Amino acid sequence: MLVKNHGIETDPKCDVLHRYRRPSLPVFPRQLKLQKERETSLKREKGYGEESYLVALLLFLCFFSAGLSPTAQAIWLTLPSSGTKCVSEEIQNNVVVLADYVLVSDDHSHHPAISVKVTSPYGNILHHKENTTHGQFAFTTHEAGNYLACLWVDGHYQGGDVNVNLDWRTGIAAKDWESVARKEKIEGVELELRKLEGAVEAIHENLIYLKSREAEMRTVSERTNARVAWFSIMSLGICIAVSALQIWHLKRFFQKKKLI
Amino acid sequence: MSTRKAPCRYSKISTIIFALTLSNVIYHGFALSISLRDFECVSEHVLYAGDSVSGNFVVMDHNIFWSADHPGIEFTVTSPGGYLVHSLEGSSGDKFEFKAPLSGTYKFCFRNPASTHETVSFHIHVGHIPNEHDLARDEHLNPINVKIAELRESLESVVSEQKYLKARDARHRYTNESTRKRVVFFTVLEYVFFAATSSLQVLFIRRLFSKSFAYNRV
Repeated sequence: MLVKNHGIETDPKCDVLHRYRRPSLPVFPRQLKLQKERETSLKREKGYGEESYLVALLLFLCFFSAGLSPTAQAIWLTLPSSGTKCVSEEIQNNVVVLADYVLVSDDHSHHPAISVKVTSPYGNILHHKENTTHGQFAFTTHEAGNYLACLWVDGHYQGGDVNVNLDWRTGIAAKDWESVARKEKIEGVELELRKLEGAVEAIHENLIYLKSREAEMRTVSERTNARVAWFSIMSLGICIAVSALQIWHLKRFFQKKKLI
Repeated sequence: MSTRKAPCRYSKISTIIFALTLSNVIYHGFALSISLRDFECVSEHVLYAGDSVSGNFVVMDHNIFWSADHPGIEFTVTSPGGYLVHSLEGSSGDKFEFKAPLSGTYKFCFRNPASTHETVSFHIHVGHIPNEHDLARDEHLNPINVKIAELRESLESVVSEQKYLKARDARHRYTNESTRKRVVFFTVLEYVFFAATSSLQVLFIRRLFSKSFAYNRV
């Protein structure tokens, strides 16, 4: 369970980790390419003993307890005490969506709670949670369309506005690089470059998607263009037909009335 | 590369931990849409002063009949000190970029002067490139990290531009659909009115020559 704290590391045990709280920079020291260097350094670090293991465990725990990802990239929403605030995104098919929300309240006397509901474009409810202060959800999209996440303040809170920190990631941003690093045993600069490669592939895919959308829109435009031409000609035809009908009818009428 | 000084015990272990838990996600920034009734604000936290904040927003106004008459929405960015960093008026979508003078929470606010309900799709990205000050402070940072950060920022700008194009494409799609529907609806309405008008004309002329009318003439 990740609990974010305004995106600022405030755990006193982790003061020394402050300088590592950078948005996704590799902090691994200078072993760039040489396998040997990496091995020797790891051998050196292994010979530290029990005390360092405890410190490592402590740091690991406090690292996880304070939240992993660079929280500079999450947005804060202000929820009014009554009314729903909805956030939506148009997502393609087969995309991983990962989101994390935390209630941030300024005064500690009131304890507000929010409810969250996430719906797919066809109306299926993907995540629904009532009366909560934090949570997370993840899903893979099966339909392309507008995915909606609505948040509202539960019931009886009368304390003004409530701030919610929402961290919403789709596609490449939701990829678990830690497991990739562990599986392929890459770290440091190589991992960073692997991330950049993933980003370039995502850009390429997005470009292809934009191109197909533009082609769709172009066919709709051209069909509308053809329709405008046809309907205008048809309206001219109807005008002529209707006035001919009028004249024919009136002529018959006057002939019947013996006025002509 | 210069030889390493004896690093502190914490930093060595935490580098391992940090390297292992590198789930720091690079590519974020949202292409979220919010519905804008009157005034909506979104906040984002900037960790370092001097970071470049960039982004874009597009208004998908599909709720107004005469879209050329829409006054556009007002967009303002407020720094944590309360100063207005960036503002834009009467626009239906634009890109923005500025250098954050302070670190803290920045508010990005949209205001809708018209009475109709609008949807705004926005994307905000905060980018940090470590400079010489950071390099000097932390002996574990390389000049290569600076280059990687610069590369990442340029890729991010491409992603940001793509999201802007996607949002604009969605807006054009709304306009296209609306045009298609209007063409069909108004044409059918036009035909119906044509037929109705001419039959009313005929009926009126018939009435003019009817006996009751003739008898009522003075």
